[in-house]
Amino acid sequence: MHRALWSGFLHSSEKFAERPAVVAEKKTLTYRELRESAVRLAATIQAHQPPDAIPLTAVFAYRTPTAFIGVLGSLLAGNGYVPLNRTFPVERTQIMLERSECSSLVVDEGSLPQLAKLLDSAQKPLVVLVPDLTDVSAYKKQWPCHIFLGASELASGDAWREPELHVDSIAYLLFTSGSTGIPKGVAVAQRNVTAFLDYMVERYRVTEQDRLSQMFDMTFDLSVFDIFVAWERGACVCCPSQKTLIKPGKFIQDEQLTIWFSVPSTAVFMKQLGMLKPGQYPSLRYSLFCGEPLPISSASAWQEAAPNSILENLYGPTELTIACTLYRWNSSTSPPESELGIVPIGYAYPGMSVLVVDDNLNEVPPGQEGELLMNGSQMSLGYWRDAAKTAAAFVIPPGKSEIFYRTGDRVRRPVGNAPLTHLGRIDSQVKIFGHRVELGEVESKVRDACKMDGVVAIGWPKTDSGFGGVEVFIEGQESTPDKLRAAVATDLPEYMVPRRFHFMDRLPRNANNKYDRKAMQKLLEEGL
Amino acid sequence: MSAVTPDAVQSFLQTYISKALSEQGREVPARLTDDCDLLLSGFVDSLGLLELMTALQDHFGREIDFGELDAEQMTIVGPLRKFVAEQLARA
Repeated sequence: MHRALWSGFLHSSEKFAERPAVVAEKKTLTYRELRESAVRLAATIQAHQPPDAIPLTAVFAYRTPTAFIGVLGSLLAGNGYVPLNRTFPVERTQIMLERSECSSLVVDEGSLPQLAKLLDSAQKPLVVLVPDLTDVSAYKKQWPCHIFLGASELASGDAWREPELHVDSIAYLLFTSGSTGIPKGVAVAQRNVTAFLDYMVERYRVTEQDRLSQMFDMTFDLSVFDIFVAWERGACVCCPSQKTLIKPGKFIQDEQLTIWFSVPSTAVFMKQLGMLKPGQYPSLRYSLFCGEPLPISSASAWQEAAPNSILENLYGPTELTIACTLYRWNSSTSPPESELGIVPIGYAYPGMSVLVVDDNLNEVPPGQEGELLMNGSQMSLGYWRDAAKTAAAFVIPPGKSEIFYRTGDRVRRPVGNAPLTHLGRIDSQVKIFGHRVELGEVESKVRDACKMDGVVAIGWPKTDSGFGGVEVFIEGQESTPDKLRAAVATDLPEYMVPRRFHFMDRLPRNANNKYDRKAMQKLLEEGL
Repeated sequence: MSAVTPDAVQSFLQTYISKALSEQGREVPARLTDDCDLLLSGFVDSLGLLELMTALQDHFGREIDFGELDAEQMTIVGPLRKFVAEQLARA
């Protein structure tokens, strides 16, 4: 039988009641305090939720104790949580709330200014819990169709009943950017998350002495690692404020973090800003990166700055629950195993299987490139209320009897025991005059030539058979295009040499801070 | 190299933020006031701010030790441009 995602927390709250569970907004909550608050929230949700309601609660809170209480309270009520983020455009949050069909909503004080806009577009009555306020009478008056509950109206913890777990009970519903511009909700089951956690806490030997970073917003599924890995073993998750996030180095030192987890971009900037000096972060036992390709140069610099830590590169789409392959960095043996200057993504987690396929979903021979397909215990339930998109991405390849998830990532099928290497996105491979061109390769050459990490290559202009050439966007100060072109031309065939270079102080990024290729393509269409 | 004034930093910030916002299709403020908090106003996010600091170094061609500036002050236009100008004035 699967276990509930909340079971690890409940266990830790008994064993480590007076130890810190979370630090947020400079306040520390012990396991006992967090449990008491979350149980009251859970009991309140249970008391107000109609039996036929969709078992989901939205948590509209940002880096506050209430955010963590809201997440845990939703789970303890028997609901999955739907993280909402006040730093996103409110229109996007509206779509997420509406599409999730949540029946209840937990709001922290800082997000209240956006509440009016959310409620004005709400399609059905909601139970709105505002644990940060005692008096919510003004809200009750303004929106009589919704139920508002302030701090003094929360149920007693005695009323809480531990919910029943079903095989597909949802842990969280997370929205990722869809190709049409409308966010897609990925429904991840509790059994997916516990399969992931069981491996992670064992691998990293997490104990109650550990202190984990929370660099990720809750709307990014990598945050699930920080929160629940900590709570499984009585450790503390340290959540920096929006302001502290800009001084990651000071944050590591002040909080004496032992486990670091961020996107590689954070390491890239810290390096550029002189925040990665050798031996600067001795407290770290583990340094983990995920979410985008990790450049070798960033891995080496980080390893020197955090010499006592083991550095690992994790890979995984939201649809396969947080991360599903990993690679342990070794300064001497890793560079020869890397491709295109990017650290390998390594090996599948136990319980996950890899299939590398061609365009027709047939497995390619070892050593060949193809799209990465995976399945196993972490494969999520698919897209929320979208059977068509689910069927398109979760497929049974020819000759197989099981469903696999199509990651859209290009990898090389390993020969022997070699690690998987990530070569780019499927849609980053284009045809130029009939030649297959991996844009990641162009990017890698340009990165080497200009010594900047923020480089994105785009196929342009469009032709009937693909593209007529490549143009490159570079984040950073303008340098001489001719020199740059000459430098890459020695390594690349003519058709791969960028026609033009576009220098920008900041490249367009999507909500999760990844480079937004579509936005760059649009700039070209608009005649940049 | 001639001294960099707080006004020069201001004009860089104005250009940088305007460009970033217009690339995202967002409204561009006519003038960044000294009390404008770039982070809390949503003009840049935390990673964007690290990028901005990198861009400042690139633009003025010098390393700037942001470690000395308080995180609370760093995101506010007035203190930020004053700090950067002072840092650049150092030998």
